[in-house]
Amino acid sequence: MPPKPHRVLLNRVSLYADEAAAFMRRRRVARRPFARLYYPHGRSADHAQDSRSGAELFVAAGRLIEVAGKKPKG
Amino acid sequence: MTTVTIQEARARVTVGIFAEMPDAAAATTPSGDAAEAALEFLTEMSPDLRGAAILGPDKEVLAGTGEEPERWAEDAAALFEVADGAEDAPVEQIHIATEQGEVFAVRNAGLAAVTVTDRFALASLMLFDMRSTLRQLATPNFGPPEGTKPRKGDG
Repeated sequence: MPPKPHRVLLNRVSLYADEAAAFMRRRRVARRPFARLYYPHGRSADHAQDSRSGAELFVAAGRLIEVAGKKPKG
Repeated sequence: MTTVTIQEARARVTVGIFAEMPDAAAATTPSGDAAEAALEFLTEMSPDLRGAAILGPDKEVLAGTGEEPERWAEDAAALFEVADGAEDAPVEQIHIATEQGEVFAVRNAGLAAVTVTDRFALASLMLFDMRSTLRQLATPNFGPPEGTKPRKGDG
């Protein structure tokens, strides 16, 4: 007996939602720190953390994160 | 094809036009109150935001969050200096993602905005909000756009 049409639709939506959730989970786990600079005309450049400029950017960013402090609750 | 030629020409000419247009500088330095209002608006718009500051043309802090807002000036200047020196060219935007949080910095119309957010903040929205805030702040009669609602609850 074939499944009811709405079941097929629900299964399909659930499948996509599961895929999206898994993608976001993998992204959170796998995402590495990065430093990206944007220039005029839409050009951008990534600087690896182990490069000299990248390391300096991360140090400067770390200081700003320190200045910002923790997120206020509420 | 003719269409392709037109599109290519449009892209080439448009880039040329924008290249010749100077970045609109703020006619006058915005007041501290206007900068505070802009910062408050930016904070409302961005639920992931931990702290932020708006800097004037002379790199002075017009408005900043936290107990020591003056500290933003030195550290933001250091960030822009390092970024400009990376390729010996002035940057427009900076996005640095670390394990502890994300840092965004934007320069527009002679002003600069620096924000620190939680990890995985939506970068395109954050940069757009910062850019539009600076653009509005640079206009003489600054005020948050009417009918604009904060995105609280989006995160």
